[in-house]
Amino acid sequence: MTTLLDYAIPGVPFGCVFALMAVGLVLTYKASGVFNLAFGAQAFVSSLAFVSFVADGWPRWLAGLVAIVVLGPALGLVLDRVLFRRVRTASPLVKLVPALGLLIALPQVALIVAGSAPDIAPPSLFFDAQRVYLHVASVPISGLELSVTVATVAVVIALVAVFRFTPIGLEMRAVVESPRMTELAGVNAGLVSAFAWVLSSCLAGLAGVLLAPLYAQLDSQNYTVLLVWGIAAAVVARFASLPVALLGGIGLGIGQQVLAGYLPAGILATGLRPSLPFFVLLAFLPFARQRQVDDPLAGCDPPPTALVGEATGYRSANLLAPSGGDGAGHAVAGWHRALQARADRGAGVPSAGAHGVVDRLASRPTLVVAWAVGGLAVLSALTWVPNVWLVTMTQGIAFAVIFVSLTLLTGMSGQISLCQASFAGLGGFVAGQLADHFGTSVLVGMVLGGAVAAVLGVVVALPTLRLAGLPLALATLAFALLADNILFPNSWVGNGATGVTVPRPQLGPIGFNGSRSFFVLALVVLALVAALVRTVGQGRMGRLLAAMRGSELASVSTGIDVHRLRVVAFALSAGLAGVGGALYGSLERSLSPDAFNYQLSLVFLVVAAIVGLGSVSGAVVAGLVFTALQTEVATFPPRFSGLLPVVFGLATLSYTRHPEGIVDFLGGGVLRALGRRRQGAAGAGGGDGPGAGPGPADRSSARTAARSAVATGEVAVPEGGGRS
Amino acid sequence: MSTASQADPVLVLEGVSASYGPYRALFDVSFSVPAGAVVALVGANGAGKSTVARVASGLVPASAGRVLLRGHDVTRRRAFEIARMGLAHVTEGRSVFGSLTVEENLTLAFRRALGHGGVADALARAYEVFPRLGERRGQLAGTLSGGEQRMLALSRVLVLRQDVLVVDELSLGLAPVVVDEVYEALGTVRSGGTALVLIEQHVNRAFTIADGVVVLHKGRVAYDGDVAGAAARLDELVLGGPPAAAP
Ligand SMILES: Nc1ncnc2c1ncn2[C@@H]1O[C@H](COP(=O)(O)OP(=O)(O)OP(=O)(O)O)[C@@H](O)[C@H]1O
Ligand SMILES: [Mg+2]
Repeated sequence: MTTLLDYAIPGVPFGCVFALMAVGLVLTYKASGVFNLAFGAQAFVSSLAFVSFVADGWPRWLAGLVAIVVLGPALGLVLDRVLFRRVRTASPLVKLVPALGLLIALPQVALIVAGSAPDIAPPSLFFDAQRVYLHVASVPISGLELSVTVATVAVVIALVAVFRFTPIGLEMRAVVESPRMTELAGVNAGLVSAFAWVLSSCLAGLAGVLLAPLYAQLDSQNYTVLLVWGIAAAVVARFASLPVALLGGIGLGIGQQVLAGYLPAGILATGLRPSLPFFVLLAFLPFARQRQVDDPLAGCDPPPTALVGEATGYRSANLLAPSGGDGAGHAVAGWHRALQARADRGAGVPSAGAHGVVDRLASRPTLVVAWAVGGLAVLSALTWVPNVWLVTMTQGIAFAVIFVSLTLLTGMSGQISLCQASFAGLGGFVAGQLADHFGTSVLVGMVLGGAVAAVLGVVVALPTLRLAGLPLALATLAFALLADNILFPNSWVGNGATGVTVPRPQLGPIGFNGSRSFFVLALVVLALVAALVRTVGQGRMGRLLAAMRGSELASVSTGIDVHRLRVVAFALSAGLAGVGGALYGSLERSLSPDAFNYQLSLVFLVVAAIVGLGSVSGAVVAGLVFTALQTEVATFPPRFSGLLPVVFGLATLSYTRHPEGIVDFLGGGVLRALGRRRQGAAGAGGGDGPGAGPGPADRSSARTAARSAVATGEVAVPEGGGRS
Repeated sequence: MSTASQADPVLVLEGVSASYGPYRALFDVSFSVPAGAVVALVGANGAGKSTVARVASGLVPASAGRVLLRGHDVTRRRAFEIARMGLAHVTEGRSVFGSLTVEENLTLAFRRALGHGGVADALARAYEVFPRLGERRGQLAGTLSGGEQRMLALSRVLVLRQDVLVVDELSLGLAPVVVDEVYEALGTVRSGGTALVLIEQHVNRAFTIADGVVVLHKGRVAYDGDVAGAAARLDELVLGGPPAAAP
């Protein structure tokens, strides 16, 4: 019995920090509808500030006060103002991407601002960290453990009291249900939700400051892990209950320590502990309600704007669809699409690729430019480009393959995957292991690696079939952790700390050892993968996927086997990612076990979404941009080394304005400009005469409007119609 | 309506247009509501009645024109400011906080308007007028019956004596007896001096207590005048009559 307590009690302080995180997540989620994954980063920023201040000789209480009560909330408020406020009613993906982007970029930016990480051991907020203050069941409790526990319990009790018994608490609960109805009662809802952000940012800051001394040094990785634990506890609380979030967090903290204590040493012991959140998420996610009560005044919002350009038929027209379940309008839209898909399936109608090439090129000037630039690049690569650059370009192509796999899964079918890097990694490891053990050619290995990754895709898809949106994203994230900790360290997969060697392929007499030959090979692989995904997108399956993205429920009601479709989409996407991973491994000639860790999955999704998930070309650009930034910025003088996270952060900001992605946005922008010119040339004889009243400024949004009219199933008075 | 009464109008819409994103829902809508009067706002589905209500209460911004409340221009004001200035809007469908108790629903509005000290008195008055609410003060408003929810929404207006109440489809989905009760409550609100803008599908019902009628057709005012005139040409007006002559 004492042994259990010996393990359990040291788990409590960890659990408390998890709990603070979870409570903060639940609080903002309830008050603003945003599941703020950037909390991990906010916690890090506060703790960095705290430790830096203390290193500068500030008293601990002052450093803590400034870091938690001033800096944390200030950061939270800024993020809310410039970012999260814009995406409040957007789709889960559009809400998720900025938060993830910040999670990645913010710690880097903070380190740049701070100069460097302070090199003192992080102090505890109060009490003497090492001194033993008391014993619980003969387990000694240090000041560190005591401070964390006391602070957490006090804060959560205070929070619950605020919610239950104070006017602002009542107003926060009202805003949670409906900001507009709260305003009708004479309450400034904006102010109330800003207050909720301040509160939860304080919690994130507190969690960060409390967590810091639990580790020997400050490391932003720990805060991402902290975030994942917090998420698990928030899910246990079904995104709703603060007290359950507290208990869940503490429970998880104890659970991980007890597990670590009782399991026999080995991968299972070291691996199972960090993957505990995965099992918790899988067990509890199906019960997590997305939001408690729907806002009865949601009808005041205009319908979501559709995205520009739909030449390829599977543009992510629904990225901006409101979250919170299928609104009636979306059910209609999805239903419409589903019907169409059904009809096509029955009649075998040929897909929408009927326009001639010339027609398409003329209608999409960006396409011409893209082909020209691409052709030029390939030509250069084959002739004069130096080797170093060529390798970078080839890396970009390998990543492009992985990004294309995301286009299929997230862009076309709307499933958010935060474990794409794990699929890629598995593909690479399998190819390497096969070559190593059986001398299998890497080309064959690539295909087999893809196949094994596809199987893994099925393994991920099956238990998550009933999840969508945010819960699905969280489950895949947890899965990536599982893969990192349990799957990849095995000698027969990622081979522990050594990693796996992946040879270059050999095709009969042709070897691919040279950079140029391998570049060509990579190009061919990318072309094949891109063609496959395009074909899928424009064919029947693409329409079925689009129907599913529109509304899963509506698709089911028209007889589409959504579950099978999802499994297939996951398998296909995972398979392609696996091929990409194998390609990358072969290029590098080796893969370290953390070459494709879960953080890379987050980066993948963010980059893909920012650059453009709506099209294959977007994915290709994403791959190239990603590699270019990564490798080229690394060679800058140190003064500029912070550029990448800053660029990344700024791109994240741009994303909230252009969720269609940069590629589609620019493409659409050119189209719009051309359209305006043509309209101008046609003279002012247009339908809307003077006095037609204010309306959308440019023509293309009328087109957009017409489309969203279908999407919302509403009938509105046509623009400028009527009198004249 | 402006001709029908000599009293100062408490609510005026002047050439109001409104859009939901790219869709225009209202075109140059003008009418006014005299203090203490009842204006029935009728029209076919999608005519723009709810949009008028939302523009008046600040939930949807007017893209052109002005909204005047007691002579003050509130066109650019936020919804909570308009509410504090004396306009109440009981929205279509559920118009109470389902996750709060009856008492919390009332307290939320009372505390802003009356300060901390006034809440207890105000609650007592609300329960006095609607004893049923008093019996259920601890119950979640979401579990109240449709009729009780309407009472709850009205009791707030009643106690706060707001200047204008815009009610959207108050009787929708209620049994006839309950409709009677709700209308009785509406009468009580009115006798407290609150002007009403009554949006109703049950046109005849609304006409029994209305002083004036505004008919909307496809986002424009098709009729603005007395009840008898509207009743005579109702079908033609609602189902697609010619728009009223431009001002
Ligand atoms: N959120 C919205 N987005 C886009 N268009 C909308 C939205 N809400 C209403 N509309 C459109 O504006 C017009 C007016 O709608 P409104 O709800 O004001 O009509 P209504 O007269 O209240 O109809 P009902 O009797 O059905 O309640 C309709 O054409 C409707 O389709
Ligand atoms: Mg309506």
